Amino acid sequence: MSEIQFRNPGWAGNTGEFDLTEADVRGTDYVGETQLDGGHPSVSASLPYMLVEKNPEAPLFEGPYQERFEKIRSRYPTARAALLPALNLAQELRGHISPATMDEVAELLGLSNAYVRGVATFYTMYNKRPVGRFLIQVCTNISCNICGADEVLAAFLEHTGTEPGETSSDGNFTVVEAECLAACGFPTCVQINSRYFEDVSAADVPAVLERLKSES
Amino acid sequence: MPDNGPRADTVTLTIDGREVTVPRGTSLLHAAETQGTTVPHYCYHPGLSAPAQCRICLVEVEGAPKLQPSCVTMAEDGQVVHTDSPAARRMRQGVLEFYLVNHPLDCPICDMSGECKLQDYVFDEGREHGRGREPKRVFGRDDFGGDVLYYGDRCVMCTRCVRFMDEVARDSRLTVVERGSRAVIDTFFDSGLEGASFAGNVVDICPVGALVSKDFLHKARAWDLDHTPSVCTSCSQGCNIELHTRDNLVQRLMPRENQEVNGHWMCDYGRANYEWMNRPGRLEAPMAGRGGERRAVDWKTALEHLFVRLQGGTGDVMVVGSAEASNEGLAALGWVGEAVGTVSARVFRSPRADDEEPLPGYPLLVRRRDLAPNVDGAGLLGFERAGDDTGAGGLEAVAGHDGIVLVLGDGLADQDVRFGASAGLFVYLGSFDSPAARNADYVLPVTTFAEEEGSFVNAQGRVQRFWPGLRPPGSARPAWLVLGALAAALQGGRTPASAAEVFAGLEAGCAAFAGLSYDAIGESGVRLEAVHG
Amino acid sequence: MAYPYRHEKETLVLSECFGDPSARTVAGWKRVGGYQGIARALEIGREATIEDVKASGLRGRGGAGFPTGLKWSFMPKNSSRPHYLLCNADESEPGTFKDREIMRWTPHQLIEGCLVGSYAIGASHCYIYLRGEFFETTQVMARALEEAYAEGLVGKDILGSGVDIDITLHVGAGAYICGEETGLMNSLEGRRGEPRIKPPFPAAVGAFGMPSTINNVETLCATAHIARHGGEWYRQWGTDKSPGTKLFCVSGHVNKPGNYEFPLGFPMMELIDDVCGGMRDGRALKAVIPGGSSVPIMSADDCRACSLCYEGVEAAGSMLGCASVIVMDETTDIVKQVRRMAHFYAHESCGQCTPCREGTTWATRILQRIEDGRGTEDDLDTLVQISEQMTGTTICVLSDSLAMPIISSIEKFREDYLALIRRGERVGAA
Repeated sequence: MSEIQFRNPGWAGNTGEFDLTEADVRGTDYVGETQLDGGHPSVSASLPYMLVEKNPEAPLFEGPYQERFEKIRSRYPTARAALLPALNLAQELRGHISPATMDEVAELLGLSNAYVRGVATFYTMYNKRPVGRFLIQVCTNISCNICGADEVLAAFLEHTGTEPGETSSDGNFTVVEAECLAACGFPTCVQINSRYFEDVSAADVPAVLERLKSES
Repeated sequence: MPDNGPRADTVTLTIDGREVTVPRGTSLLHAAETQGTTVPHYCYHPGLSAPAQCRICLVEVEGAPKLQPSCVTMAEDGQVVHTDSPAARRMRQGVLEFYLVNHPLDCPICDMSGECKLQDYVFDEGREHGRGREPKRVFGRDDFGGDVLYYGDRCVMCTRCVRFMDEVARDSRLTVVERGSRAVIDTFFDSGLEGASFAGNVVDICPVGALVSKDFLHKARAWDLDHTPSVCTSCSQGCNIELHTRDNLVQRLMPRENQEVNGHWMCDYGRANYEWMNRPGRLEAPMAGRGGERRAVDWKTALEHLFVRLQGGTGDVMVVGSAEASNEGLAALGWVGEAVGTVSARVFRSPRADDEEPLPGYPLLVRRRDLAPNVDGAGLLGFERAGDDTGAGGLEAVAGHDGIVLVLGDGLADQDVRFGASAGLFVYLGSFDSPAARNADYVLPVTTFAEEEGSFVNAQGRVQRFWPGLRPPGSARPAWLVLGALAAALQGGRTPASAAEVFAGLEAGCAAFAGLSYDAIGESGVRLEAVHG
Repeated sequence: MAYPYRHEKETLVLSECFGDPSARTVAGWKRVGGYQGIARALEIGREATIEDVKASGLRGRGGAGFPTGLKWSFMPKNSSRPHYLLCNADESEPGTFKDREIMRWTPHQLIEGCLVGSYAIGASHCYIYLRGEFFETTQVMARALEEAYAEGLVGKDILGSGVDIDITLHVGAGAYICGEETGLMNSLEGRRGEPRIKPPFPAAVGAFGMPSTINNVETLCATAHIARHGGEWYRQWGTDKSPGTKLFCVSGHVNKPGNYEFPLGFPMMELIDDVCGGMRDGRALKAVIPGGSSVPIMSADDCRACSLCYEGVEAAGSMLGCASVIVMDETTDIVKQVRRMAHFYAHESCGQCTPCREGTTWATRILQRIEDGRGTEDDLDTLVQISEQMTGTTICVLSDSLAMPIISSIEKFREDYLALIRRGERVGAA
């Protein structure tokens, strides 16, 4: 279909008839620098990042992270409600939620550690094991699937030389299958750490991986 | 409502074609129960919150678009409910099929077999043949710590155990881990239920064989157990329990519901404390003669000789009872003492724990400091506490007493062999022999509470009865029978033939018990305060 | 302008600024009339705002289609307890990608909607529950919210009205079920996101035990426009039972997938053939899922006369849901896609209710076996029956959502199943 315009700046998704840069689509210029202390309390829970470099030994919480944690707590009527944001924050720092992390977060919020384990295991975004520097989550749900998501997943696994959930030997990549990422018009959608890579085809995969390596 | 008057506090509805009137705020499940219909349920437990998640208690309510969970749907005036309509039956069959898709059906090696609600409901209403062709999911077994083992494959995920720990024990050590069909019950990794004081209850409330007791593991089949209503003797709370016995051995203790004492629960300390009831080496025959002259005699000889000695005895009587003895035994002990002279000491000794241990979510239930069942009964019957908090000491006067010494149920473990050496007459009634009983003129074997009928008074002042679950060893007899006969002979009354008759005498003679009949105590007990208004 | 393609037939209310990075700022949003909705609401008062939304006939855009004004009117009046507005931005229904678009292009549209909603129901605190995966979108929202606080649009004494409304972004952590309103409340409270039994309903006992209302992103955005222009204005579009405009998320085998905004009642075939540039590679249409994966599948025949409004899609045997139109061409392997959906529901089941916990997984395994060529015709009966056992028997409708595609696909595409069962042949490639 030659009359269809298709542009995808930086895998930020098909911009169709719009002349937009990757920053325009992602809104990165508007967002600008984000503050480690969480900025205004109303948005203090809106981070975390999935960071490339993780420090499993990082303390919970110190400096700007402590400030962010206190801001988060100030926004809820109960201590328990800060649990998900606190786990998010812990994962941002440490990269995954280990039993020790659950225990520490439980202590911080006055909850039982078993309870925190129950909550942490309910949610799929909490990595229960360490992951690579780039966590690659390939949507294989229906809209992406009918447009070739299985091939995209296979390509990521092939080019990183891993099995699903396994981290590549260089510690760079962990590839997992994801459920619908709500970018169904831009198949296949792949979430890599904090970013969505959209309209990714199997053929794009080597270039995507190259870009990640060059960024890190 | 047609007017603004107060709403009636009952509602009338129709369940399975029969009209039922129940208090407002009664769930359909309970309303159905009042007319004899049990609606199957797993997640609902009367002592816990109701999450309505097992979905097997759904019933048809006319006018409702879907089947309604009967555990949380409240009865309303004019409702027409069908617990057994084709839709409700189809739904139950469907839910049961879902349970069985992954259930291992290892009933032959499952401790719950015979009292399992999955077994029962499937037997009642399940499909004849399963349609599952896929291999079953396997979770395996997990040691939860304490006395609790978890078999994940048998679990129906009703979460009763999690809710018990959250809501009743207020010690959230159990949780649902993961979600969907990968969900299991678990603890926080390697730490578990060890040290928790009430965790054994999770085994009782598990409707299937997912949570089992390590102590009871593979010990007995449910259908081989006899159940005897009883009262826990491990502290003065007097939790209502059942003795589960087989082959004349207590296999386990289970709580018996009593909303005024222990709810549905009991503590692990009490639950674990039963092996002594099965202990061998019991006194089996009456014995007469001190020290090396001791010889076994039959009851008739023993009692006749003892009667003669007592009748001829004079003066000062010292009586040592026990807070583990029944009201009836203690009362009869007092009667014997009073019949032969002046009772100058009437004491009991009983150990006390440093602290009590309440069940936070059911504050009526407290593991009390007094670690014996009948401290209050002994007090009401005129016995005074002697000795220290370990249950030792305090018997110096008795040990060297030169008059009559009567001991019931105190093992005299701390006393040396000179105890009672200077007594004019020393009678020892016990279940086990004691070195300190070597000077006894008569050693009379009596039954434990597990082998006899009788009553205790708990820390709330509640008289509670227990029944014999075991046959006594040899010719051991209830203390009330032995002492009742002696007292009757001494006082010229009628020999009591039952604990009820002793209790009648006690009621007549002791103001604290006045007005209370043994029958009225029944299986759930009566508070003395309630009798006296 | 819809995104990433536009069409002259579109009616642009919510999507006017999609693709325009300059509309992200407060200034940009005000340039197109932003924050006039909340200003007018504050002027006419709570009751009148609710009346406007009632009059507009707006129905919830999260999938259930419940009238928004009516929902707002359930909130207790004159209650001294805190009220909460919860914005459901946990968009995760497969096929749905409209809320992310709204938030990343027009974050102030949502903030304004949250202000209108909070004001109307007497809430002084609104939580926007964003799905955790939306890192980038969330940061756009965060910057916009900081801006709005700085401009006095949110917080104490908004727009000098004396009314205090706080908004807090709350980020989820990956659980589809948290898009269910009571699951969302549990999740917000720091619990496992398990749906709660109703009653009690959220308007009586909601988040933190307080009266709460929960609305979808698109719904709240629509109320910002309704507050600005009045209820009747909104009714100029759509049908009597489905007033207003709606974002249609079109995905799958069309040439121009994306979000398009039309009045409800727009013909489905016109959307596919004309607006979306027709089928990819000129292939034939095989099936459409019109409302996100939780609704019955429609065959190509079902689509012919279908108009995209609540009643129109219902008449065609399915449901509008959140108007997420997944278009599948003749190469589609229906069995595989139903299996994939089943896998999704099994993965996302919270596991509370037995029929859902066990049924979704069992159905997935049977479907997998059929797909692997080891199925039997009896399996189809079993699938239909277990789907029936999963319908109407649980606390929420997650298992019903799987039952619908299973039952409808076996009914409408039985031949695809039989080809696999009898001959081991797959119909379709993807």
